[in-house]
Amino acid sequence: MAAGGTGGNGGKTYSFKVVLLGEGCVGKTSLVLRYCENKFNDKHITTLQASFLTKKLNITGKRVNLAIWDTAGQERFHALGPIYYRDSNGAILVYDITDEDSFQKVKNWVKELRKMLGNEICLCIVGNKIDLDKDRHVSVEEAESYAESVGAKHYHTSAKISKGIEELFLDLCKRMMDTAQAEERLKGNGASQSASGRRGVQIVDDEPQATPAGGCCSSG
Amino acid sequence: MMKRKPRRQVELRAYWTKLKAFVKTLSLQRQMMENLIIAKARQDALQRKMEERRLRLQEEANRRFAASGAVTAEEQEQRTLYTNVLEYEQDHDWPKLWKANIQENPDSITLVSHLVSYLLSQSDHPVMKLLRRHQYRIYNRLYPIVSKRFPQSPALPLRASHHMLHPETPRKPTRTVSSSGQSFSTDSSLSRDLHTNYDDEDLEEPPTEVTVDRENSFEDLEQFLTQLDWAPPHSSTDDTGSDTETTCDASSLDESHIREMEMRALKEHLKSIVKDIHIAVDQLLSLCLLSFECLNTARFKDLCLASIEEAFFTPLWSALVALFRKVNRDREQACEASMKLYQDALPGDVGVPLKLFPQDPCIQGSYPYESAVHELKLVFKDGCPQRKLECIVRTLRQICACAEEYRCIHEADATPTTAAIGADDLLPILSFVALRSQCPQLVSECAALEEFIHEGYLIGEEGYCLTSMQSALAYVESLHLGAQLPDALT
Repeated sequence: MAAGGTGGNGGKTYSFKVVLLGEGCVGKTSLVLRYCENKFNDKHITTLQASFLTKKLNITGKRVNLAIWDTAGQERFHALGPIYYRDSNGAILVYDITDEDSFQKVKNWVKELRKMLGNEICLCIVGNKIDLDKDRHVSVEEAESYAESVGAKHYHTSAKISKGIEELFLDLCKRMMDTAQAEERLKGNGASQSASGRRGVQIVDDEPQATPAGGCCSSG
Repeated sequence: MMKRKPRRQVELRAYWTKLKAFVKTLSLQRQMMENLIIAKARQDALQRKMEERRLRLQEEANRRFAASGAVTAEEQEQRTLYTNVLEYEQDHDWPKLWKANIQENPDSITLVSHLVSYLLSQSDHPVMKLLRRHQYRIYNRLYPIVSKRFPQSPALPLRASHHMLHPETPRKPTRTVSSSGQSFSTDSSLSRDLHTNYDDEDLEEPPTEVTVDRENSFEDLEQFLTQLDWAPPHSSTDDTGSDTETTCDASSLDESHIREMEMRALKEHLKSIVKDIHIAVDQLLSLCLLSFECLNTARFKDLCLASIEEAFFTPLWSALVALFRKVNRDREQACEASMKLYQDALPGDVGVPLKLFPQDPCIQGSYPYESAVHELKLVFKDGCPQRKLECIVRTLRQICACAEEYRCIHEADATPTTAAIGADDLLPILSFVALRSQCPQLVSECAALEEFIHEGYLIGEEGYCLTSMQSALAYVESLHLGAQLPDALT
């Protein structure tokens, strides 16, 4: 289907979709702009500005096309989150190290993503604004151990002083390539019957329960 | 004593902050639960869609690669079709000439696009005959449903959007259907005619059977479809459905049950029509590539597909979207209610940051992001999904351009690199633009586009724009409930 590797066997090009999640002021826009900065200066910026960006990379001789989808952090646009991150190969979850709430939000998204997309999506948890380390409210240990506990990788970045961003994306791309290659191998092994149902969406009950938006439910 | 009191206060305060933190976590968790439920419903729908697509592809693969021993009906059909192509090429020289021409200039995209449009203009070519046959078939399945007016659902007049938006566009004098408020059902003779002609042919009868007079009757249909307004007779007033509230309260329990069943049947029908359309387009493309092997490269194939889709969808779109509108009636009504409520809204009312629109009361009759609203309304003008999608992309680009401009008014020294529009800004603005468009049928248009967008476009800019549009519309739908006010303006 759509994502993963396309093209001939020789000059393989990977197309990956990466969603960017994070609360309003955590700096996800600056982060992604920083990453695509060169493009910016060349005036090749896409006309959708920082909402949707693409980047072409060459990693160990393989071409990679990245499509970076920014999402709105506000609650009220959250209902359609799943259509944003369907078919995503990776997700970058950004929080502000000086803002504990934003870290809590990241935890919520992780749960949602894992539930929706299973383990095939590569998760990156990103503590942004490390230039403000003296105001840090989320401890490095807490963040890193949380990331490990959910099978995500943790990164420290600062969009302001341009730190850690290249590494973040490069590392993510490599992981997505590994996942895609593993998937191909699986397909190659004749597991064709399940291969097309990629992105490990779990089979759920047949009837969609048309839950109204205000559906109430007790929480523990 | 003197010491203890302040200590108790300190303890109390500590306890109080703890409690506050706890309550906050609770409400966060609750929000999350709600989101998960909504998300799950949505995901289930998606899951089904992917499953359908997979099944469809599998069926097709089965058909195509069926054991070569026994020839399936489809293989037989494919062979017959190809035979027709060969026959046609015996009688006509142009395919040979074009092929030779392209062989000489294999990379010329202009040549190829000329070939495709020439092919599409040759109504006696097997590809075109097949295209018409499929169109008929789809139309015949759409007609009985879209022409039928539900007694209990006149609430949402199905208007031809282009007419509503461009009342000033000159129309052919012979076809003033819209002003007379003629509905589809008045021309049932045409459809019945088509039915009788095609019912028997729906089986695997080869397209050579299409006779001349049927083609003529199709010309009629095509004209009819493109010109026709979908307004039910009673809604001759052309303005937004002002009769919405008055008509739909007298629904008893029984009625609602019937409606529910009707809706389920409609959804099933829609699903199977969508599937048929995908199959039809696939078949057309493969016949096209079979006829002109030179088109079978990645680039030319896309071009070919785009042209086929344009020819295929354009005459059918209004009927098709009418069915989508029936299925999405509730959503459209919610959208309409919000649009009415917020028709004079300013960007700030839906949470657009102050720096992204001019505050001073602007020139009479104009409002921020008006150009994006105009662009968005053009989505109804085209009858082809790909074109519509391009229009939505242009709308979002226009929004970004406007936002840039407005920000520069606020901070004269702002360079483009210091900040740019991210989704946090884009979605509120897009919601504002959707509200101001006053077109609830956007909901159905987008639902239809979601069905027909090419998979290759899903992760690209087109997919992003459609997703954002749908997300904004979902927010607009929820607005009239007053439940979700914009949270803190950032």
